[in-house]
Amino acid sequence: MIRVALRGVREHLVRFGLSVLAVTLGVAFVVGTFAFRSMLASTFDAIIATSVNAEVYVRGAQSVAPDVASQAGATSTSASFGPQHSPVALSLADTVAGVDGVQRAVPDVSGPVVLVGKDGTAVVTSGPPSLAFGIDPQYPTAHLTSGTWPGPGQIVLESGAVHASGLKAGDPTTIVVGDAPRKVTVSGTFALSASTAGAVLVGLDATTARQIFAPDGKVTQIAVYATPGVGEETLAHRVAAALPASAAAQAVTGATVRAESRAAIEQVLGFLQTFLLVFAAIALVVGAFIITNAFAMAVRERQRENALLRAVGASPEQVFAVVLAQALAVGLVGSAIGVGAGALLVRGIRWVLAQFGMTLDTHIPLSAGEIGAAVGLGTALCLVAAALPARKAALVPPVQAMRDDVAPERGVRLRAVVGAALAVVGGAVLWLASRLGSALGDAHVTGWPWLDGQNPRVVLGVGAGLLLVGVLVASPAVARWVLRALGAPAALLLKPLGGLARGNVTRNPRRTAATAGALLIGMALVACTGVIAASTKASVSTVVNTELRAPLLVDSATMRVPAGAVAAVDAVPGVGHVEVVHVGTTGAARGSGTARSTPLAGVSTAFFEKALRVETLDGDPTTALLGGKAAVVRRTARDLGVRVGDTLRLGLGSSTTTVQVGAVFDSQVVGTGILLREDRFDDVVPASEAAVRAIYVTPAAGTSVSTLRAHLRDAVKPFLVLSVRDRAETASAVASQVNQAIAILYALLALSIVIALLGIVNTLALSVIERTREIGLLRAVGLGRLQLAGVIALESVLIAVYGTVLGVATGIAVSAALPGVLADQGLTRLAIPWGQVLLVLGVAVVIGLIASIGPALRAARLPVLEAVTVD
Amino acid sequence: MDVAPRGRHAAPEPTPTDHVPSEHASPESDPEDAPEDAPTAQAYARDLVRTYGSGETEVRALDGVSVDFTKGRLTAIMGPSGSGKSTLMHCMAGLDTPTSGTVVVDGVEISRMSQRALTRLRRTRIGFVFQAYNLVPTLTAAENITLPLDIARAPVDKAWFDEVVAAVGMESRLHHRPNALSGGEQQRVACARALVGRPSVVFADEPTGNLDSRSSREVLTFLRRSVDELGQTVVMVTHDPRAASYAHRVLLLGDGRLTADLENPSRAQILAAVGAEEDDGGAAPARTGAHSAVPAPSRAARDPR
Repeated sequence: MIRVALRGVREHLVRFGLSVLAVTLGVAFVVGTFAFRSMLASTFDAIIATSVNAEVYVRGAQSVAPDVASQAGATSTSASFGPQHSPVALSLADTVAGVDGVQRAVPDVSGPVVLVGKDGTAVVTSGPPSLAFGIDPQYPTAHLTSGTWPGPGQIVLESGAVHASGLKAGDPTTIVVGDAPRKVTVSGTFALSASTAGAVLVGLDATTARQIFAPDGKVTQIAVYATPGVGEETLAHRVAAALPASAAAQAVTGATVRAESRAAIEQVLGFLQTFLLVFAAIALVVGAFIITNAFAMAVRERQRENALLRAVGASPEQVFAVVLAQALAVGLVGSAIGVGAGALLVRGIRWVLAQFGMTLDTHIPLSAGEIGAAVGLGTALCLVAAALPARKAALVPPVQAMRDDVAPERGVRLRAVVGAALAVVGGAVLWLASRLGSALGDAHVTGWPWLDGQNPRVVLGVGAGLLLVGVLVASPAVARWVLRALGAPAALLLKPLGGLARGNVTRNPRRTAATAGALLIGMALVACTGVIAASTKASVSTVVNTELRAPLLVDSATMRVPAGAVAAVDAVPGVGHVEVVHVGTTGAARGSGTARSTPLAGVSTAFFEKALRVETLDGDPTTALLGGKAAVVRRTARDLGVRVGDTLRLGLGSSTTTVQVGAVFDSQVVGTGILLREDRFDDVVPASEAAVRAIYVTPAAGTSVSTLRAHLRDAVKPFLVLSVRDRAETASAVASQVNQAIAILYALLALSIVIALLGIVNTLALSVIERTREIGLLRAVGLGRLQLAGVIALESVLIAVYGTVLGVATGIAVSAALPGVLADQGLTRLAIPWGQVLLVLGVAVVIGLIASIGPALRAARLPVLEAVTVD
Repeated sequence: MDVAPRGRHAAPEPTPTDHVPSEHASPESDPEDAPEDAPTAQAYARDLVRTYGSGETEVRALDGVSVDFTKGRLTAIMGPSGSGKSTLMHCMAGLDTPTSGTVVVDGVEISRMSQRALTRLRRTRIGFVFQAYNLVPTLTAAENITLPLDIARAPVDKAWFDEVVAAVGMESRLHHRPNALSGGEQQRVACARALVGRPSVVFADEPTGNLDSRSSREVLTFLRRSVDELGQTVVMVTHDPRAASYAHRVLLLGDGRLTADLENPSRAQILAAVGAEEDDGGAAPARTGAHSAVPAPSRAARDPR
């Protein structure tokens, strides 16, 4: 029987080839994800090993765990990863230096920098930070490659920064660090013993760095190096003993810090991996569709052969095993190729990233477990996908061998009923999700507590899943009607080709629906993504126009506006009101509860009158600020469990203070966080940790917005990374960020679309083989080759457009529930990008045309005589 | 009724092969070709050779066949399996390309035509009726009938269409799909399709091979009527002597050569010729009963008219 199975695979190489390809792509995605994650992990491991190289670190005793989601977005101020600690006094370095066994104690003074490159423009990295730090000439993992270590007015550049900026030792340049641009000279270049993953590192002399980054005499940590022969643990104990209790500091071993950093990175990478694996899963599910299809067709086509096997004494189990053995072969081969392709994929990604200046570890570690998991996944997928067709094959009655005809397709009424029921339930669940989301857990939507308590996002997922499955199930029942309508223009305009093509795709509605199903899933996700993007842009535009009171906004590409720029903006003639928003992150808790990492903003008391218009829910925000109380955003108030009148404990270490909640408000611009009057903010957030996030500017009476904008642009020009935007520009800046994020999603979805395309090729190729006789007839009565190819292409386009129409409709139906569910994420309006929908339909036509190339060529090349005389 | 297309109605007396050259001589035919055909031959072949394979496995399916198909006549080609009868028809119809020799249809040499030109030829000048799978399952009977005209983007002559449909008796079933038609009805639709474009020649390959005797009779009667009343030229390949007895002329092939050429033979004569063929296959062309055949008494009974 094994021989029968293997010959079956060999004789149907084309069909199985496509299945193999589908498995290969899915598995390659999975392997690529694992490898990418490992590559990033090993890159960061090297960075940690290089940068966390002291034996002991002294840092604040209090800490708050970072909010991973926000950490992933905004890069923290220093190169360290892990929990945020309260700062320590710089002067502790001298205390520690006196401890026995300490060779030297180096405070970590570092912060963001903007480096101007050889060409006079700022060196911009997409993702990795630009950091300036006080150089420690004895830093164990750094060595000079040219020039000297810097003195005042000088800098040294790490090789990555040299590469990115084009500067060399002796070149004059400008850096923006702290509050103002500074003219400096490059005194030398140095190299670290590990890749910096694209970060731009600028070394300053220690004194300058302290002035800039530790003006209040506080630093995040002090690195303590041991004299040779003193162990980490021993030294940590000695240093800890020497620390005064009043310092609120702790001494930990380098190993501890490295472990913490690694754990933090693992967590972020874990999110990344899960995110990528979701798309890999989509690709695999779509691939499973194709495999089921391919096997169903193979089984159908070889019904007589299977019946013959049964007639000569094979048991149903044996026939089942034959088909499953073929699936196993396809799965193993596809997965094996997929593993190789995945490794290549990651090499490709590394090469691309290297072009953008982000050098990653060259070693791509893939554990045997991960490879095994990927291969197992691909193979199991094949077996599961082929199980249903295999069962069908096994149940072929032996008498079928004697019959000439192939059993007709079963009716689709049952599927129509079941599918419609699922879709209706799915729709209802989506509606529920939308209501639950808008109610924010406050109202009673259904009256059943267990249902009202559900997370709206989970409910949304369930509803979307039900709707999608419902549409997939009902698809064969509606295929005939939808295709008849879709094909009508072609049938009318391209007589008789259009009618022939339409007839061919409607004659096997189950097959057409199954083929289009793969595309349906992909296109539903594309539509959903598109609607989310369009809705986000529309919402942002609404928010900008309703919430922003100040017509102009100054902010920085690095998320930090230098202090000097605030003064520069103040000095611009025609400026009316200037509202400076300071931000910092610290721990916040209700009363004596456990602290959560929370964003804090320090603003003037005029903030709510001059800068933002917000929706007040409880109390009055302006009164709260005037009274030194906190104005809390609704989401943060909910997370912390506080309401007006409650007491908040804010801050870390010595800067802890308590504040009363004076108001709760809702704002899409602020999103999350706690707003405090500037002086109260300064009590909580140390100057070294605070940053100016944005400046809201209102023109003085008599000055137009455009004039002021021009003046402001001139004023902030020396700071290089600042931009001045009016409301429309702010909205479009956000829109372009959204576009970038969406582009990544589309790229990830593209794989599933490509796999769906393979499915169409698969179906068409089989259809051509099955219809050889009919094709011969058509050619005999005078159908030209080009016309025949046209018929096949039309069929392909019809299938692709059918899947897309259903998918886009499903996607839009799902996204209709999104504004309700994601209202607290700033998605308040539903916008359907009709232009994009048309574009997607155009893409479907192209997909159809591409998919038809092979089968159409094959059909056109069929010799007429052989086709008409084939058995 | 005068319904003959292109006025080629009254067929002259059947002429034997190897006749005088004519003004229909195809200009592109090879100069060393055999003598040209009679003006009344709708299609003819000269020294047709078709071999498959090469070397030791070479098979000569046609071994120098010269034959004329006269206008307005129903000609049956008979012969045992492997005699080359299907190959002859395929070569005549432009479905297969002869290894050597000449095929002329409607005054045009087709044996060296490009595929593109052959496609056009099949569309406009040749009608086909196959043994099975004659109809496109997704099209209705009416759409199947007009398919060649639609492909050629030629207008449908409504009156002629109605007449052909009436002749095959399918008026009431025009809007049915093939799977709703019986085998006989399907073949009648196929016949109507073959005729609706007023082709020069209709080639029918075992048109009754899959039919019961009643349906066979209907189809054969129609083919004969299309010749007698509509003036068509029909060439039919069959292995059934009963089917062949409807023909004006029966050609017998054996081992790729013409072995007999019977004019208006009776079924008995056909059976005798086939029997003789089987006894000493590959004999020289016999002219048994040529010109002498009288319509067999049974024919009147078979013919509903």
